[in-house]
Amino acid sequence: MTSPPQAEHKPSIRPADEARTLPSGEREFFMDVATSDLEVNMGPQHPATHGVMRVLLRTDGELVTGAQPHLGYLHRCAEKIGESVEWLQYLPYTDRYDYLSAMNNNLSYSLAVEALMPELEIPRRGTMIRMICAELNRIASHLVAFGTYGLDIGAFTPFFYAFREREWIQALFEKICGARLTYSYIRIGGVFNDTPPGWLQEVADFCDVFEEKWQEYYDLLIENHIFVQRTANVGVISEEMAYDFGLTGPMLRGSGVDFDLRRDMPYLEYGEAHDAGAFKVPIGTGEKGTVGDCWDRTQVRMVEMMESLGLVRWCLEQIEPGPVIGDVPRVIKVPPGEAYVGIENPRGELGHYMHSDGGKIATRCRVRAPSFVNLAVLEDLMPGTLLADSVAIIGSTDIVIGETDR
Amino acid sequence: MDFQAIADHLSVAQVPGLLSVELPRSPDKETKDKGRSGLPYLCVEPSRIVEFLTFCRDDDALGFEVLVDLTASDPSADDENLWILIQLLSVRHRQRLGIKCLLPKSALSMPSSTKVYRAAQWHERECMEMYGVTFEDHPDPRNMLLPDDWVGYPMRKDYEFPKEYHGISCE
Repeated sequence: MTSPPQAEHKPSIRPADEARTLPSGEREFFMDVATSDLEVNMGPQHPATHGVMRVLLRTDGELVTGAQPHLGYLHRCAEKIGESVEWLQYLPYTDRYDYLSAMNNNLSYSLAVEALMPELEIPRRGTMIRMICAELNRIASHLVAFGTYGLDIGAFTPFFYAFREREWIQALFEKICGARLTYSYIRIGGVFNDTPPGWLQEVADFCDVFEEKWQEYYDLLIENHIFVQRTANVGVISEEMAYDFGLTGPMLRGSGVDFDLRRDMPYLEYGEAHDAGAFKVPIGTGEKGTVGDCWDRTQVRMVEMMESLGLVRWCLEQIEPGPVIGDVPRVIKVPPGEAYVGIENPRGELGHYMHSDGGKIATRCRVRAPSFVNLAVLEDLMPGTLLADSVAIIGSTDIVIGETDR
Repeated sequence: MDFQAIADHLSVAQVPGLLSVELPRSPDKETKDKGRSGLPYLCVEPSRIVEFLTFCRDDDALGFEVLVDLTASDPSADDENLWILIQLLSVRHRQRLGIKCLLPKSALSMPSSTKVYRAAQWHERECMEMYGVTFEDHPDPRNMLLPDDWVGYPMRKDYEFPKEYHGISCE
């Protein structure tokens, strides 16, 4: 009697030639044990998603094999509201998409409406105050990006330093408009009111102190060996990929593309400021690893803070007494027409497409949110990385959920 | 290139789908034309959009590498067309281009631009749920921001707000 043939033995140890090389080409590790795919929900409540977002991760052991962002938990119908309320009434809603850079949001909306009102003249002092506020807000926003990014990958201390400096900027904004987060200060036609006495000197004082502190933060986190190990060669976005996904802002510049709307398609007085040498455009160079990795993006944000400081100082030199807001009626009627205006927000290009039929209410109010577009790259960037790196990658995209969901 | 040069370049190249060039115009009292302020744009045939965008991306003189925005607009409840609005950006040449497609509300369907620009994928998903436009061959036509069981297209001008949602009163 012969025994039935044994089922073919399947070894649980895979041969070594199945070793995988990560897209960066740097690390590789061996799959020793046969594993199966596991779906893990990262979020909706997760500290590393910076808000209420869910990423459905498919993992094979420590390796991420798929990622699918699920949005909409913070959707507040901003565009529909924009088509239901008057032009000026919509301004406070713009504060609430990217609540870390509300000044820039106000500015983008105001510029889009002003593009439809060619007869409206904005006084130079108003423009200068707009630039000072936008750049200070950019510093505050990048400070949060830098602080929380450290937090995401295990460095707790920089967060407190970043928030100390941000607190100072918020106090400055509180003096100028009374609000600390949702300013509604930059209006259609200029800014809401003039600066309080001594405010410009306080801004100058901030610039002097911040310049010293910045170097400390740079040495503390950006040059830190552990930080470099966690971010260099991780989440590499090539130039072609950045174009394909429509990335803008530090995400695009981190990939080595020399493009900044403030310099290349100037609005306000940025063209004049650049000609005067007030700021340069930093790009990712792959100093610690590959061009377009998480370290490059973070470094671009850090250097941008200093460039913004240069812009603030240039504005403080140029600013002269005068009116701050143009001749805007109480109820604004915008001539018929349509315009798309995109400006350089801390997170990328914030665009407003506004369409007016000549009435008191917009016919179409479209918000092109940089975080929304920049987040789409996750679907392609995450597969093939390690689970721990997924947090580093999400953090380096610097998203604000209020803006992705609007 | 400025907008007129881009438009001329496209007409000379006889790119399929280019219908007309719309410029801002000043108001005219005699014809009761209210005028149009703002930016110029090109009108493109929706069914030829993929070829048109591919040309804009690959042509050296145009070089529009980035699709900045893709959205729809419902000008009014009485209008028989829905607009699809596309904004392109050329990083190389520092120039922008606005494109508009008129899509009849009776047949809201056009090819997906995802194959040309990956950036279009999420924008088109948003358009689909908000306006009810169908993008043919879209790789992932799920809802983007709204719940999966949402009824109606909220950004349309004739949208009626729901009375309740899962037992929660909306009034």
